[in-house]
Amino acid sequence: MSTLALLILLIGLGIVAWVSARLRLSRLAGEERTHSLPLYHGWYVALWTAVPPILFLILWVNITPALVSYAVIDTPVAARILPSEPLERSALLAEARALAKGQIEAPFNADARLLAPAYAETQSRYDLGATALALILAFAGFAYAFTRVRPDFRARTRVERIVMAALLGASLVAILTTVGIVASLLFESFRFFSMVNPLDFLFGTRWSPQATVLPGEDPGFGAVPLFWGTIFIGAIIAMLVAIPLGLMSAVYLTQYARPAVRRWMKPILEILAGVPTVVYGYFAALTVAPVIRDAAAAIGIANASSESALAAGLVMGIMIIPFVSSMADDSIAAVPGSMRDGSLAMGATSSETIRRVLIPAALPGVVGGVLLAVSRAIGETMIVVMAAGLAANLTANPFASVTTVTTQIVQLLTGDQEFDSAKTLAAFALGLVLFVVTLLLNIVALRVVKRYREAYE
Amino acid sequence: MTGMVAQMPDRDRKVAERVPTDWKTGAMQTRIRRRYAAERRFRFMGLAAVVLSAAFLAFLLVTMLAQGLRGFTETRLALPIDFAAAGLEVTPAQLEQRGADAALASAGLERVVDNAAVAAFGPDGMDLISDTAWIRVGERLKADPGLLGGQAVIAVPASAGVDLAAKSGDTPLDARVAELRAQNRLTTGFAWGFLTGADSTDPTRVGIWGALKGSILTMVVTLLLAFPIGVLSAVYLEEYAPRNRWTDLIEVSINNLAAVPSIIFGLLGLAVFLATFQMPRSAALVGGLTLALMTMPVIVIAGRNAVKAVPPSIRDAALGIGASRVQVVFHHVIPLALPGILTGTIIGMARALGETAPLLMIGMRAFIAGPPGGFTSPATALPVQVFLWSDEVSRGFVEKTSAAIIVLLVFLLAMNGLAIYLRNKFEQRW
Amino acid sequence: MTQVHIDTPVQPDAPAPHKMTARNVDVFYGSKQAIKDVSIDVDMDRVTAFIGPSGCGKSTFLRTLNRMNDTVSSARVTGDIRLDGDDIYSPQMDVVQLRARVGMVFQKPNPFPKSIYENVAYGPRIHGLAAARGEMDEIVEGSLKRAGLWEEVKDRLSDSGTALSGGQQQRLCIARAIAVDPEVILMDEPCSALDPIATAKIEELIHELRGRYAIVIVTHNMQQAARVSQRTAFFHLGTLVEYGETSEIFTNPREVRTKDYITGRYG
Repeated sequence: MSTLALLILLIGLGIVAWVSARLRLSRLAGEERTHSLPLYHGWYVALWTAVPPILFLILWVNITPALVSYAVIDTPVAARILPSEPLERSALLAEARALAKGQIEAPFNADARLLAPAYAETQSRYDLGATALALILAFAGFAYAFTRVRPDFRARTRVERIVMAALLGASLVAILTTVGIVASLLFESFRFFSMVNPLDFLFGTRWSPQATVLPGEDPGFGAVPLFWGTIFIGAIIAMLVAIPLGLMSAVYLTQYARPAVRRWMKPILEILAGVPTVVYGYFAALTVAPVIRDAAAAIGIANASSESALAAGLVMGIMIIPFVSSMADDSIAAVPGSMRDGSLAMGATSSETIRRVLIPAALPGVVGGVLLAVSRAIGETMIVVMAAGLAANLTANPFASVTTVTTQIVQLLTGDQEFDSAKTLAAFALGLVLFVVTLLLNIVALRVVKRYREAYE
Repeated sequence: MTGMVAQMPDRDRKVAERVPTDWKTGAMQTRIRRRYAAERRFRFMGLAAVVLSAAFLAFLLVTMLAQGLRGFTETRLALPIDFAAAGLEVTPAQLEQRGADAALASAGLERVVDNAAVAAFGPDGMDLISDTAWIRVGERLKADPGLLGGQAVIAVPASAGVDLAAKSGDTPLDARVAELRAQNRLTTGFAWGFLTGADSTDPTRVGIWGALKGSILTMVVTLLLAFPIGVLSAVYLEEYAPRNRWTDLIEVSINNLAAVPSIIFGLLGLAVFLATFQMPRSAALVGGLTLALMTMPVIVIAGRNAVKAVPPSIRDAALGIGASRVQVVFHHVIPLALPGILTGTIIGMARALGETAPLLMIGMRAFIAGPPGGFTSPATALPVQVFLWSDEVSRGFVEKTSAAIIVLLVFLLAMNGLAIYLRNKFEQRW
Repeated sequence: MTQVHIDTPVQPDAPAPHKMTARNVDVFYGSKQAIKDVSIDVDMDRVTAFIGPSGCGKSTFLRTLNRMNDTVSSARVTGDIRLDGDDIYSPQMDVVQLRARVGMVFQKPNPFPKSIYENVAYGPRIHGLAAARGEMDEIVEGSLKRAGLWEEVKDRLSDSGTALSGGQQQRLCIARAIAVDPEVILMDEPCSALDPIATAKIEELIHELRGRYAIVIVTHNMQQAARVSQRTAFFHLGTLVEYGETSEIFTNPREVRTKDYITGRYG
């Protein structure tokens, strides 16, 4: 039986349990008042019936593929035909599995046909076992809970305890995700650093992981050009676009614009943040980059690259405008109105008030916002993948091509790579650096903003 | 009095007595004028920033529309075919049964169509019509088997070269296309195939449905996981969680996850779901799982704000008539907070729908020529499709990429519109 | 003591007898009328107090005198208000100069988040009143001295203005206002956020400043009005009920409403 059908069956059993518990309760109680409403008795029994087997199924689905593979490897057929080289071995097994499930019809390796029956047979044996175990669990749970349904049974308290456990469980997912990210990045990075010296990685200036290296040669894992490219595009060029435009937009919309203009323009500018990054990437590569290349050629810059840091940074800056402007908006709005009045009452003009009082007073909030924007920009992937190029140059020429951390992660992990090579693992080391830097930026930014908010509360 | 001032040191006297400012002097008037000029400049700079930002947006959208709308159309050639003379070995009865396509293929319809093209357009005829033109002819035959015994002029899709020459020009085929157009043999129609097909190597044959279905499957998984987990976490943190180190840890985790670059979630998906749990590569299931982890913090944060906005008086009222704390939350707080939670969910889902980088990491960038069959079969997604087509060299892909972007933006616009509608309709002010 | 004649016709060409004159002033917020037909005169070397129950429009009227109501987009002012005979709402009147000549001190101390020195130097700097650094030092020192704050802050001029105590902050704001050498100083309940000792210091300061400026003070504290002012105007529901010498108003009010308010029947 397929997992989905089993799942539906279990839910059906749960409904049956729900109804039968209520019937039992009304038979036992008659006119008597019960401690908990029949509803809760129903839920109590239904949960006991359906939840344990479903949890079991989730576990089962995750471990069976491995179990089935082991079982197949142990069969005599497998012993005869399986190659010893691990990569070929897993490829053959995967093909046999796909064949057995009917996902493919003709395998590349004819041997897979020999293995497929073993797969199908083992799989169905395990499936049968899973079905039987799940049903046993369901009936056991049902029997346990059903016998406890009595008028004085505190079903509501029990159900609520289960609900609380579910709530707690749900909120632990966030911690699990964080732990998952940190653990996987750390684990793969450690493996990478056992092959490549961390100092060479962090301070080396030559990045060419795709090249074939002879033993004893510099493997080309020096990430400094990547770090520079990331900073150059995300923290310099993009911010040169986003800070003036974002800040001045916020100033205009909060201090000068009529309320109707503000009501319309604010959401329109926020659309800029909602456009998918792949669209920006396409726009940067197809529309902006050629213009910049031609402009560079026109002002006499020889061999301007069509994948320039400027094109990627410019478009990324446009994407970041709403972040800067909404943070600046909030920060300026948080400056007490009495400051503005105080300055205006001295005979200052609006712009003098804004430049000399409001912006200095809002500065911590604005700086926090800019830090968040930088963290966002350096983690941005698609724009740089599509527009920044792959050449790991250490250059401050905005018309040249530079590459970034995220671009290289994508580059290292796409295509056919075996998972354990230094190249793939390098992507995780880059990911770790990116994660740590964005995390620090966020922590600092949030702390700055929080302290600033407190100053005016 | 005067004497006393005179005896004071020079500096102190100046401090005590200032000459009243004369605002009417020329210097002062010039200064004021300069200040007002600065004010106007500053104000203009602000306006310019707003206009420039909006202009970027307009330029982006107009560029995409201008290029993309052509992607929804196809160029067709009127191809006269004499079926009676061609001698197709297919009976009208066969055309009405199942297996008609196979029968047409084995009867050599493709050859018949190619010959007809050569006959109609000259020796280069085969290069003018699409490789799949015969399929269109076959469909026409199936719809009207009576044609088999006679002649017909059928509009078939033109080849990529003709399509490009007809739409944008500047190709070697321009002159030929102008000639065909003068003969009234060229028509333009809506490319239904673009909405129903999947990826292909020929830009005239690509379709968006494969990627769209992949996106829909991915979003279903994301929603089913992220929504319940997000709402339950939000409720727990806002309503029940004791203030202790664990709760702080959860809060810090959620706030940081919301700011983690999306590509890191891709790395997580690759290392955990693919490498450790051996889940299938390129599958919508894994994509959905990955995006769910990314979307969940957004929903939790929106959910917490919505729950927080429900006034305590409602909780007190319910507790006061003897409801348990679970009943208070599930009967009163969640229904009242639902519009806010839904708005946050839709915004999070819209962000997930436009996300590309994490899906690249888990292999959803493969070339997949048909719509995905299910959650575990290889799939791609709309934004990934945009990325893949943008990498194609053939010029015909430019308009198809932009057309795919239009489809993506329409979906995002619809979702955000729905979110705004929900917010306005159900927004409660306490 | 004589009653002040507020019906003196104003001669725009002749030197005005009063520093500021207001005639038939109405103020609207949207469609709501906040001030109805108020006419009043303000003189040099005197302190004029506006009293009345909260919401009576005394602060609103005060803000029309240096056009601070301009910052509220829905506010509309009609009537005639003159400074030295010049209509302050006429297009020829420059609001920036007007506010430099008619300074203002607010209810809550609102020093800028800058150093004490920069707070006081702010006005002279934007108006270009000091040519050199030395001159600015003199302005800052003189203003702080006149505000009675110099001795307390002279060793820490670079500390933030927001680090001072409430009373000191308010005196800093007064120093900031007088640094541009205004002719009129408007004070909007300047002591309402302060403790009694700080209040006493501000009142003493108002006494000392009286000789150089026309001072208008809004207060809800009648004792304060009696202590610091020479003239008192009683506002009620947006209208000016009575205006006269302070001693007269407090001992022998002509209007029943004034009497009721002063004796504490309402407020």
